[in-house]
Amino acid sequence: MGGVGKGSEGHAMSSQTNDIVILGIETSCDETSAAVLVNGTDLRSHVISSQIVTHQRYGGVVPEIASREHSLHIQPVVQQAMDAAKVGFEDLSAIAVTYGPGLVGSLLVGVSGAKAMAYAAGIPLIGINHLEAHIYANFLDHPKLEFPFLALLVSGGHTHLIYFAAHGQYQVLGHTRDDAAGEALDKVARTLGLGYPGGPQIQKIAMDGDAQAFKFPRAMLEPDSLDFSFSGMKSAVLNTLNSARMRGETLNVPDLAASFQQAVVDVLVGKALRALERTGAKTLLLAGGVAANNLLRETLDKELSERKVHFVYPPPIYCTDNGAMIAITGYYHYLAGDFAPWTLNAAPGLGLEGLV
Amino acid sequence: MKYLTIDTTTKVTAVSLAEDGGLIAEGFLHTSKTHSERLIPMLDQLLVAASWTLQELEMIGVVRGPGSFTGIRIGIATAQGLAQVLKIPLTSVLSLDALAWAGLGRREDIVPILDARKNEWYTARYRWAKGQEKAECLTPPQAIPTDLWLEQLKGLDRPICFVGDATVKYKTRIEEVLGDNAVIMPEFVSLPRGAYAARAIWQHWQETGIGELVEPFYIRFSEAEVNWAKKEEARRRTEHE
Ligand SMILES: [Zn+2]
Repeated sequence: MGGVGKGSEGHAMSSQTNDIVILGIETSCDETSAAVLVNGTDLRSHVISSQIVTHQRYGGVVPEIASREHSLHIQPVVQQAMDAAKVGFEDLSAIAVTYGPGLVGSLLVGVSGAKAMAYAAGIPLIGINHLEAHIYANFLDHPKLEFPFLALLVSGGHTHLIYFAAHGQYQVLGHTRDDAAGEALDKVARTLGLGYPGGPQIQKIAMDGDAQAFKFPRAMLEPDSLDFSFSGMKSAVLNTLNSARMRGETLNVPDLAASFQQAVVDVLVGKALRALERTGAKTLLLAGGVAANNLLRETLDKELSERKVHFVYPPPIYCTDNGAMIAITGYYHYLAGDFAPWTLNAAPGLGLEGLV
Repeated sequence: MKYLTIDTTTKVTAVSLAEDGGLIAEGFLHTSKTHSERLIPMLDQLLVAASWTLQELEMIGVVRGPGSFTGIRIGIATAQGLAQVLKIPLTSVLSLDALAWAGLGRREDIVPILDARKNEWYTARYRWAKGQEKAECLTPPQAIPTDLWLEQLKGLDRPICFVGDATVKYKTRIEEVLGDNAVIMPEFVSLPRGAYAARAIWQHWQETGIGELVEPFYIRFSEAEVNWAKKEEARRRTEHE
């Protein structure tokens, strides 16, 4: 066993075969998930236990309840993933776990469980940045993706444009100055009475609406900026609703949803195109929960094929929080020998900036 | 039988290695670092110091609450993760049951008090009868306003021995209400220790002899659940009217 104060760095590679087998664990928000990935390409199992139904009555994720749910589900979810992959802990090369950003109580359940498992199995622990993992989800179906590329990360908590020069070498070009895109969609959905989670609800009802019915502003900020701002756009929707209410009018909800969705997509696409022009990158990766939005995908697809830019996005299952994206990111960290000490703690406010 | 115990239900990280109820090694940290940072390094150090390997362990016992919600979950997730990989049984006791061992053999009633914030305690009441192997639980675990509990204890009109992490902060108040009937143990006895969990887990294991599915014991619902229940109740009432 390891000596005093030593971290998980000291352990040797997995024994019997040369396969690199990574168990990935994700508990940063409201999904408890685990996946077993072999050699970075062969996803042997993927289990996701979602808490969406539990949180629905509260209109959003309640941190303490999320932590309680993770606590009950982490062990069975991991065991299911191991059983489905037909591997034992002795077959694993390393265990990768999200340590931030996210809800601190939820993160701690995953970090504590993963740490104990890795320590008991005598294998390295890998701490994963959840944001990086969303982007790396693209490598699951595209292992041969070439650098450099540009990544557009859009989720309930984050809106980032990031330039990747190589594995682990990246630079944040722009991020949101207020609300994240997904957050704005959630808030507007709530105001329109569409429920939680908001993004998918907006997308659904927007299909019956006219995206040109309302003219909401597109906040593009200064001409040279790659940052985002969604709170003004969100307020425009709320103001429109309020003034209609004062006049005693009811507005067409599908039209409102479609128009707002269109405005958000226009800004995201506009900024992505601006960043591509500036960096000369020939590949764009889409990532995060909002990457599952059809309008965003279709618009990017059209704009990027016109510009001969390679467009990659994950299937919906890898867009929301999941263990497979943790495992694939863990695989690349494993190749780089980037392991965590046994003192690894949750980092709820972890950003991408510190990793450049 | 060699086993490990973990107690992270308060600000103390308390770990023990024990064999057949006898304490072999004990870890105690009451520093500003988090359980997450301290727990596995402490276990690693204890194993090395005791010349034990993880593979020798035959059982793991964890303290599953009440106490700090986050602490409870860190302890359980860690104990579960270890037991899952080592393929050994997992068992548990309550924090208050473990603390009753701090008063082993005393004639007073033993009352552990754990800080539950909002001026409440997690508490229970125990009594050690002569020659008994286990403290009898006279008042089951509860979360209760501090003054209400002190009034109830005063009504018993008998000596009470207080242990637990709230003894330091509330010493004066307890003595005000209970006077000479209050026996307040010093902090080094009062705080959770690996030694207490080692005994409590062994006692429990002898009764059960089998691993169990361990779930957190919070006593309290989360605030969101409480508020929602209140709202539902109000809604139901207005519907009836
Ligand atoms: Zn996410």
